[in-house]
Amino acid sequence: MENTDRSLIDAHLRGDKTAFGELVRRYGDSVLGYLTQMSGSREQAEDLFQETFKRVHEKAHTLRGNHFKPWLFTIATNVAIDGLRRRRRLQVVSLNQKLDCADGRCEELGAVAVADNRYEPSQEAVRAEQKEQVRQAIELLPANQRATLVLAYYQQLSYREVAEALGCSIGTVKAQMYRALKTLAQRLPDVSGEMK
Amino acid sequence: MKHHLTERELIEYQFALASDTLTAKIAAHLERCGECRERLEQLKRKFAALDLLREEVEVSEDLISQVVEQAGSTQSEVRPKVIPFRPSAWFGAAAAVLVVGLLLLAPHLTRDETPTHKVVKGVSEPVEKMKLGYEVEITPQAGYGEKYAMKEKTLSRLATYSEGGTKGLRDVAKSELVEEEISEQAPFAPASAIELVTLPRRDKVQLTIYNSADLTLVRERRNLTLKKGWNWLQFMWANTLIDPTSLSLEPLEQVDKIDIQQLVFPARLRELGRWLIRSKVSGQVPFEITYFTSGLSWRAFYMGTLTEDEKAMRLQGYVRVGNNSGEDYEKAQTRLIVGKVHILDQIATLAKRKYPYGRPEARFYGLGVDTSAIYFNAHGEVPVLGKVPVIGRLFRTLEPKEIKKEGLSEYFLYTIEGTETIPDKWGKRLLSFEAEDIEVESLYKYDEERWRGQTIRFVKFTNDEEHNLGETPIPNGTVKIYSQADAEGYLSYVGGTSVKYIPVDEEVELNLGPARLVRVEPTLMNFKTDNYVFDRKNNISGWDEIRTWKIKITNTRTLPIEIEITRGLGTAYWTLQLIDPASMADDAVAYEKHDATHARFTLNLKPRNKRTFGYTVRTYHGVREETVSE
Repeated sequence: MENTDRSLIDAHLRGDKTAFGELVRRYGDSVLGYLTQMSGSREQAEDLFQETFKRVHEKAHTLRGNHFKPWLFTIATNVAIDGLRRRRRLQVVSLNQKLDCADGRCEELGAVAVADNRYEPSQEAVRAEQKEQVRQAIELLPANQRATLVLAYYQQLSYREVAEALGCSIGTVKAQMYRALKTLAQRLPDVSGEMK
Repeated sequence: MKHHLTERELIEYQFALASDTLTAKIAAHLERCGECRERLEQLKRKFAALDLLREEVEVSEDLISQVVEQAGSTQSEVRPKVIPFRPSAWFGAAAAVLVVGLLLLAPHLTRDETPTHKVVKGVSEPVEKMKLGYEVEITPQAGYGEKYAMKEKTLSRLATYSEGGTKGLRDVAKSELVEEEISEQAPFAPASAIELVTLPRRDKVQLTIYNSADLTLVRERRNLTLKKGWNWLQFMWANTLIDPTSLSLEPLEQVDKIDIQQLVFPARLRELGRWLIRSKVSGQVPFEITYFTSGLSWRAFYMGTLTEDEKAMRLQGYVRVGNNSGEDYEKAQTRLIVGKVHILDQIATLAKRKYPYGRPEARFYGLGVDTSAIYFNAHGEVPVLGKVPVIGRLFRTLEPKEIKKEGLSEYFLYTIEGTETIPDKWGKRLLSFEAEDIEVESLYKYDEERWRGQTIRFVKFTNDEEHNLGETPIPNGTVKIYSQADAEGYLSYVGGTSVKYIPVDEEVELNLGPARLVRVEPTLMNFKTDNYVFDRKNNISGWDEIRTWKIKITNTRTLPIEIEITRGLGTAYWTLQLIDPASMADDAVAYEKHDATHARFTLNLKPRNKRTFGYTVRTYHGVREETVSE
């Protein structure tokens, strides 16, 4: 029988560290995916991931009820938004990077193009460009809209769970979601015929 | 809705943002309005771009370890639930009374010397100390893998994980048992940073290989070192064909003190399972692990050597065991099952379905001879140059192992004596049985319909005691027949075939292929029709056909032969008459009705001899068929 999130948290509070490990394994992928979408960088997402679970560990005693997942994403969202603020304050530019690749994403794109060999090289280039356009379109959204979109669309949380995670009403979540989608409808590239 | 849907309505509909009422209205409109449906499709295509970023993100095990370690290092900081309260005036008074009371009682209190038990252990223990514990444990035993550099890949990957991790297993095994309570709360997973690993060798392994299905039952015995409390035992089957759902673990001793709680397959960790074991004892305990694997197979083949007069045969049965399971099996007791087993799924499919990995290539390579068996070269043959020597000469320095046989209801079990080492990707040939002086009959057959004018040679014998066989059924396999060619004992190849499963007391005919030294030539000498019958309209309603055949048989061999000639007659209504049988009275040709439409002639020929016989067959057609029926 699978242990519930609540029982894992309780076990963690009793001092069973394996319970905490189980929680990390259970939600690690989705939290890291969320943080990657929020930060736009896997490297930064991993830092935020550690920070998120550090806070989960420290604040485990504050969890009420059984809604661990929204609570976890609340923490992840706070960590992500804090991270974004810090990043705005402190732009780190590597001396090895080209000027137009200030955040190091050019390397990522290259890596994707090499690794994902399902497509022809020309298609691959188009695809990489479209990905970048989508990423930029999402990054340009205000933080709360971005969080709503990523949680609801990519992490597939229900609107109720998103509302719990962001600490607002479902109506607010839906409004933010609509605004985000309306903006994206203007900015997203046309990928018709490219999607599988 | 009378108007076309707005973009907002379409977005809200597509992303379930609208209220139920509005959603129903939009859906109803979309059913009616093709233009809006098209716009909705456009919108879907537009937002399909979002899926470009929908990537599978997997957290690395390192990152998880870091997070868990980080949490572990601050475990003491985990605060218990705090119930906030506000001090009040009466609380201060109550506290003062309590303090005074405690001061008065203090001299009378005795100190409890019983050591307290810490359920949570090792959080502040240095990791280096724990690592030292398992480094000592994994030291391979002397002599391990000297011969084949055997990689005990799968079950050597057994790893026990200690729950607490504050002591090395060796320390635990050697130390006095500390009477401490075992937590009833099972750990959820081994804490990654404190894994204690031991690599116990297989003490015994038994393989039961079924040849009818790609299925092998493996039973292993290993001595596992347990500590008192919760233990994790890790089992990996990467690059093997083990069916993970068939895994079973049982202690062979201390059964009442060891409880196998569960087998878990951790998320994202593929090709890996962990048993959770609750042990009331510490130290070494023998365990039996059983599972099914595929990739191991066996097949039987036989070598028959005919005597010069071809009236007796020496038959040697072999089994060849092949291992493509991805796992080396060292000194395994090997048992072979004859008979079909019913299985729900192919093990290889099971193994691949949930835990994808490539099947090892089925190749046999390498060449080496040990004292117990012959290894195969790359072509699956025993490497001998020139003529094939007499079997006895080839094997005279080898001590063949006896294969014991026993019946298992509908199956038959062959147990190979002793143990065998079967490394991955190797094949091994073992002698199964050997029987001398099996009385055989050489028989030639001619049937135009089956063999298109070729004479086929057969060797016939029965699997019974009279033929020095009959102890066991003979599994299906290929047979190669040789005959002794000269006084030096060299052999000439006569022919080969495959045989099906031969039960005890069953007769078997081995088809050795075309015999070029025995020729049969049928010639149609005459054909006529007769006995026409006409109906009322003067149409032909019945007639007879009469054919006269001459059959010439040439035996250019230096041995006498028996030949069986089957002739198809094309109808079930026929009569046959041999021509001038009196002329062949000394060695008469006999015929029998083989079935409704065939006649079979049997005759013997002397060495280097020709014989001719003839027959006339009358076939009946139309209403004339009734003549035969009557």
